[in-house]
Amino acid sequence: MPALVSKSLRDYRRSLIRWTIGIGAFFTLYLSIYPNISENKEIYGAQALAKYPGALRDLMGGMEDFTSGIGYLSSVVYQLFGPMLFVVCAMLLGNRAIAQPEEAGTLELTVTLPIDRRRLVFERFVALALGLLAVAAATFLLVWVLSAVSDMGVPADRILAAHTGVFLLGLFFGVLALTVGAATGRKGAAMAVVGVVAVGGYIVETMGKNVDWISWLRWISPFHYYLDGRPLHQGFPVGDYLVLAGATAVLLITAILAFDRRDVGV
Amino acid sequence: MTAVVETEGLTKFYGRRRGLEDLDLEIRPGEVFGYLGPNGAGKTTTIRLLLDVIRPTRGRMSVLGMDPRDPAVRGRIGYLPGELALEGREKASEYLDFLGRARGGVPRERIAALAERLDADLSVPMGKLSKGNKQKVGLIQAFMHEPEFLILDEPTSGLDPLVQQEFLAMVREVRSGGRTVLMSSHVLAEVEHVSDRVGIVRSGRLVAVEDIAALREKAVRRVELHFDAPVPREAFENLPGVRDLKVEGAGVRCTIDGRPDALVKAAARFTVVHLVSAEPDLEEIFLTYYSESEEEGRHARAGVQEPA
Repeated sequence: MPALVSKSLRDYRRSLIRWTIGIGAFFTLYLSIYPNISENKEIYGAQALAKYPGALRDLMGGMEDFTSGIGYLSSVVYQLFGPMLFVVCAMLLGNRAIAQPEEAGTLELTVTLPIDRRRLVFERFVALALGLLAVAAATFLLVWVLSAVSDMGVPADRILAAHTGVFLLGLFFGVLALTVGAATGRKGAAMAVVGVVAVGGYIVETMGKNVDWISWLRWISPFHYYLDGRPLHQGFPVGDYLVLAGATAVLLITAILAFDRRDVGV
Repeated sequence: MTAVVETEGLTKFYGRRRGLEDLDLEIRPGEVFGYLGPNGAGKTTTIRLLLDVIRPTRGRMSVLGMDPRDPAVRGRIGYLPGELALEGREKASEYLDFLGRARGGVPRERIAALAERLDADLSVPMGKLSKGNKQKVGLIQAFMHEPEFLILDEPTSGLDPLVQQEFLAMVREVRSGGRTVLMSSHVLAEVEHVSDRVGIVRSGRLVAVEDIAALREKAVRRVELHFDAPVPREAFENLPGVRDLKVEGAGVRCTIDGRPDALVKAAARFTVVHLVSAEPDLEEIFLTYYSESEEEGRHARAGVQEPA
């Protein structure tokens, strides 16, 4: 493994462990109350949920079929909170690639190593992708085990499909943070951009289904390429995931080109 | 032999602020070049340009005969940043290990030997290191791969006098091995004992490059002579280079510019019982350069209306 990749992963280790525990705790908490919900269909059933305002239901992904395993998992875990936790985790890791060490001053010594600047960005990206993959793999195993324990009746390949989407979505936002950091050297700017794109993208994708004047914006929302394919219900939306991965690649190339041509630490 | 550093019209502006302008600098193989100037004069800007951390606004430069944009050049350089940032829980030894691997492998024993020489504890998390100990780690990583060219930005800052002496010994060893050193400082006293030449930079411009030996020759020296009997004042009057002459009985005091030759020959006619010559104060000459260039600057500005 290249020195910079293993060094970055070593730097990320503690926060990767913390995020795995945090996201795992969130999944565990929500999946452990599922038996309670599936037994109380009159409280959480379709009629009960119909009382919520339509816009709120849209924001929560429709909340249909809340009492079935797939419905519960997609509404509670894979709709908003699961992806958002990954997005925040990836954003913080993405910032540690360039912007944070640059602001702290530690990047100066790194760029004076005999490593090409373009390779430096790429190796930091590899570390980000591997770190995020580790968090995703561990939490996937956890969800898979917990869903089997709670008798949710969700096939493992569907969970894998949804979890892959969450990983790709997280990676996209992580690379977005990396790219803004590579171009500007400011982690505040990177967090602002990720925040606006993530929150805006989520609202546009969910509300846009029933609000005509913003529905066209769904095409540029990263969440569209995760949520629209309904991976828990329909399996891998291959085309959509390729769009996400492609957008990530474009961002990465932008980051490499932007970092290669600018002054560091001024 | 090609120059280790060669720049031509090297200029860097940060937006409208001048960092460095029209630098023509040559550093020769095997020399220790002292780069002097107050904080903010452009020393760090020059160094960062040579290492491709920042890019020039205009001008040309070559380092070890190559374009600094080529990462291979940096493999032949050891660099100590002026503001060295080391942080986190990582131990200094682990960090040095990483830097060594990124540089294609450095024997552990060499790192350990340097650490022992500088009396550095590498088992401490870097975030807990004092400024002086961080500087030691910085020096170790700059020297550990035995680079052809060392670029040291304010290397002695934060080091206690004993470690400073050890560091200067390391620089001398590098020079006697035929390798080249560029070290910056804002105090001449820190570099004068190891430097072959010094360059003085001020407000983004190189105002002088001087041989240390030549600088010593230009130095103002105060000399005191005591004889076994009173001496006539005439014997010492109008000697070349002798100023501020004071003759009091058997004692003679004066200042000499440059060589003390004429004074020594004049004194040799009498019996000298005691001779005191103070170490030339290079700092003084150094400051003379500054005040001169400052005046030039003032004259130049006087003709131009300063923008508000």
